[in-house]
Amino acid sequence: MLTFLSPLFLVGAGAAAVPIVLHLLKREPEPRVKFAAVKLLKHAPVEDTEKHRLRELLLLALRVAALVLLALAFARPFLASGEAVTRGGVTIVALDISHSMAAPGRFERARQLAKGALTRAPSADRVGVVLFSDDASIAVKPSGDRVLAASAIDQAAPGFGATRYRAALSAAAQALSEAAGSTRKGTIVVVTDLQESGWDDGDRAAIPESTQVEIADVGPMPPNLAVTAVRASDGRDRQIIGATVHNTGPRAREVRARLTIDGRPAGEAAATIGPNQSADLAFPGARRGASAAVSVDDPEGLPWDNTRYVVLSGPNGPGVLIVGGSGELTRDAFYVHQALGAGGPGDRYYEVKALSGAQLSAEQPDKSASVDERLRSQAAVLLVSTRGLERRGREALGRYVRGGGGLLIAAGPEVDGNVTADILGPESAIKIVNVDSRQEARTLAPADLRHPLFRPFAGASATLGLVRFRHTARIDGAGCQTLARFTTGEKALLECASGDGRALLLASDLDNRWNDFPLHASFVPFLHEAVRYLSGARARASEYLVGETPPGVPRQPGIHTLRDMSGARHVAVNVDPKESDSGRLTVDEFLGAVTRLKDTPASAARVAPPEERGKRAEQEDAQHLWQFALALMIMALVVEGVIASRTA
Amino acid sequence: MPLNASDRPLLDPAVVARLGTLELKARTIVEGFLSGLHRSPFKGFSVEFAEYRQYIHGDDLSTIDWKVYARSDRYYVKKFEEETNLDCHLMIDVSGSMAYGSHHGMTKLEYSTCLAASIAYLMNRQRDAVGLTAFDERIVSMLPSSSRSGHLRATLLALDGLRPGRATDVAKPLHQLADSLTKRGMVVLISDLLDDPDAVIGGLKHFQFRGTDVLVFHVLDPDEMDFPFDRATRFEDLETSDEVTAIPRAVRSHYLSEIRSLIEHYRRQLGASGIDYQLLRTDHPLELALMSYLSTRARAL
Repeated sequence: MLTFLSPLFLVGAGAAAVPIVLHLLKREPEPRVKFAAVKLLKHAPVEDTEKHRLRELLLLALRVAALVLLALAFARPFLASGEAVTRGGVTIVALDISHSMAAPGRFERARQLAKGALTRAPSADRVGVVLFSDDASIAVKPSGDRVLAASAIDQAAPGFGATRYRAALSAAAQALSEAAGSTRKGTIVVVTDLQESGWDDGDRAAIPESTQVEIADVGPMPPNLAVTAVRASDGRDRQIIGATVHNTGPRAREVRARLTIDGRPAGEAAATIGPNQSADLAFPGARRGASAAVSVDDPEGLPWDNTRYVVLSGPNGPGVLIVGGSGELTRDAFYVHQALGAGGPGDRYYEVKALSGAQLSAEQPDKSASVDERLRSQAAVLLVSTRGLERRGREALGRYVRGGGGLLIAAGPEVDGNVTADILGPESAIKIVNVDSRQEARTLAPADLRHPLFRPFAGASATLGLVRFRHTARIDGAGCQTLARFTTGEKALLECASGDGRALLLASDLDNRWNDFPLHASFVPFLHEAVRYLSGARARASEYLVGETPPGVPRQPGIHTLRDMSGARHVAVNVDPKESDSGRLTVDEFLGAVTRLKDTPASAARVAPPEERGKRAEQEDAQHLWQFALALMIMALVVEGVIASRTA
Repeated sequence: MPLNASDRPLLDPAVVARLGTLELKARTIVEGFLSGLHRSPFKGFSVEFAEYRQYIHGDDLSTIDWKVYARSDRYYVKKFEEETNLDCHLMIDVSGSMAYGSHHGMTKLEYSTCLAASIAYLMNRQRDAVGLTAFDERIVSMLPSSSRSGHLRATLLALDGLRPGRATDVAKPLHQLADSLTKRGMVVLISDLLDDPDAVIGGLKHFQFRGTDVLVFHVLDPDEMDFPFDRATRFEDLETSDEVTAIPRAVRSHYLSEIRSLIEHYRRQLGASGIDYQLLRTDHPLELALMSYLSTRARAL
């Protein structure tokens, strides 16, 4: 198929209209003259007007052809072959390899459906394969080689990741756009079990408008038992380990859970769990150890949610340090302590400690570690009071943030703006002005709900609007991004970068003094997301989901060793408990989360990857069709010249 | 310049065309023409006294004026203005093709009628009998020749009433007229001769066969001589309405060759037959035609 390396030059072919327009404008009917000696003209070799008109049309055609050929030559034409361009469409089979597909016999069914989609694809279509779970990869780029695609499906196996439809459709759309070229006809066949958890709240995927999405439903998940959470609480010599087991089956099941600590059996617990219910099982008096695992027997269900791992030594959750006035959690940050210790999404919870400003300013706040070491072990630091925070403490906090730490400053009544400005340094140039006078109550409005901090509120942002702020501080920062404003228009939440770390600056307190935030349901998720966001990659979490493991940690369930700046430590990696959720989408619900984008040639040109362009350039370079176009143009001009000179 | 030497400028046909009546045109042309001529070549027998001349040996004794001899005792002969009994017939082509005329000048028919009127006027002055026949493919009007007073007016009126007719057939009226003429004399044909040359020449020879001198004025428009068209043009025949669309630059050379060969054919064939032939462009002065006429007339006497 003829295509062009620089198709914009074809616009120049519009110049061909110039001779046509001139021809039409110049064209006049020949005058009629009454003449006496017409019989002498009859005897002359009279040039027929039709012949003359034909000659003029021929000249016009040659001139137009010359211009078109010139534009054609500049557009660098070439005959595309192979994968570059074909006439058919493109079919992408997106195969779900998430953990939920790992139940016995389930993935074989998925393979059959995927191969069936390949078979049903029109013979002219190129086919490609995308494998997806937490993320998606293009296993086979679209091509005419269906055997290769079928082989990729045969080799695919379910993994430990969670279902993420957005990643799947994005990868499929990318494969389509790379392969589609001039044709925009594409089909994405998603082979999946339609897990409800595959779409995050407010999550949407965007695909080209002309792309058709088909669902090949593998079917509902079989009855399944899953250990969805394991917790450990400290005792004096021993610790209490609790586990939550969820039964997704339609019948009640007798469950016997086994606890192993450091790989050795450490107890059992049994319970009867009703259909679609969860039960907490406790293993009291478990001996101390480095790590523990709680497992149940469920040969017919998903394999990797039968066991859940937890690290016992060290903090169960990442540490959060609250810098207050007294150093006592109950006095300085009662609500924050309760919220972070209560457990957040995915049963994530934090080990919350408190230090006073004075303690942080001391050379060695406790005997075990220096201030920097102490801070480095924290996922995030919450500054709720600057009372007693001397220069050394400020510098330590500054070093912590610049070294990649996360700091949440609640600009309440005990926070001095000058001190916080010292901590973050001149580049942030933050200003906090406490306003003592009683203000009109106001509420919070996120500036961008897509920010990770507000992700839990994507579907229910109005809950943040229920919080009433009676007093606020006036905050500002030159290099800071405004994440939320009060309904009065003042800045409510800023994000300021400092070195490798970041700080969040809230224009009110977190202790139910200037606002009633702690009394609202949105407080706990907000704090958890804030800490999670602040901790970022530096979080010293000891438990990860398969899809969120840091570099160096295998993406499979178990106890693994993580080596980072603070040394080596054990971390637990578990499958996402959402993957054990048996909730399903309908096809319409699935498609409802897919946004259609208008196809435009420009966007098609934009998405053409460099390697594709390189391939096209190579093809064009090998063919040199532009030279033929130029030669033809010169020939047309020569012929035109000859005919024109004969006519003249 | 065939005209006898004179500094008087000839009349431009475009100027003549703007003159009022045909009679005025004829008079203006002829009087102007005659005033530029030496009178001597055309003296002859006439009742009108011209001059006295001393008798020389060989003169007719009857021309001696005896009264003068009685008074002066010398022989003088009396000379009179020429008087002839020449019977001249004007044949004017009024076919459709004669209606053609360039933008600025006269049509061929206007030029021809003007020429005929001038000749008639001149003949009237010469006391010659003049007749008129107008024809296209047939004779459309005819005035018998006469030298009576008042005949000039009738001739001019007849000429004034001529309008372009239909197709040309020169030969047929020629033969008809040749058959009808009973006296020897002179025939003046004024036509564009866009007809079969051999048929035309045959008709003219018929007159010669009957002893009649023939003068042919071949009247052509400058456009027909030069073919000055430049754009593609649809040419419509004035007589047959046939149409030919042509690119002038492509056909000009061939056309000019055709028209020249036609002229040359007439010139050669008529010359060989002793028939006077005069090509006239409608932008050329009419006096040239009168000169030709007088030359032919002199031979006819």
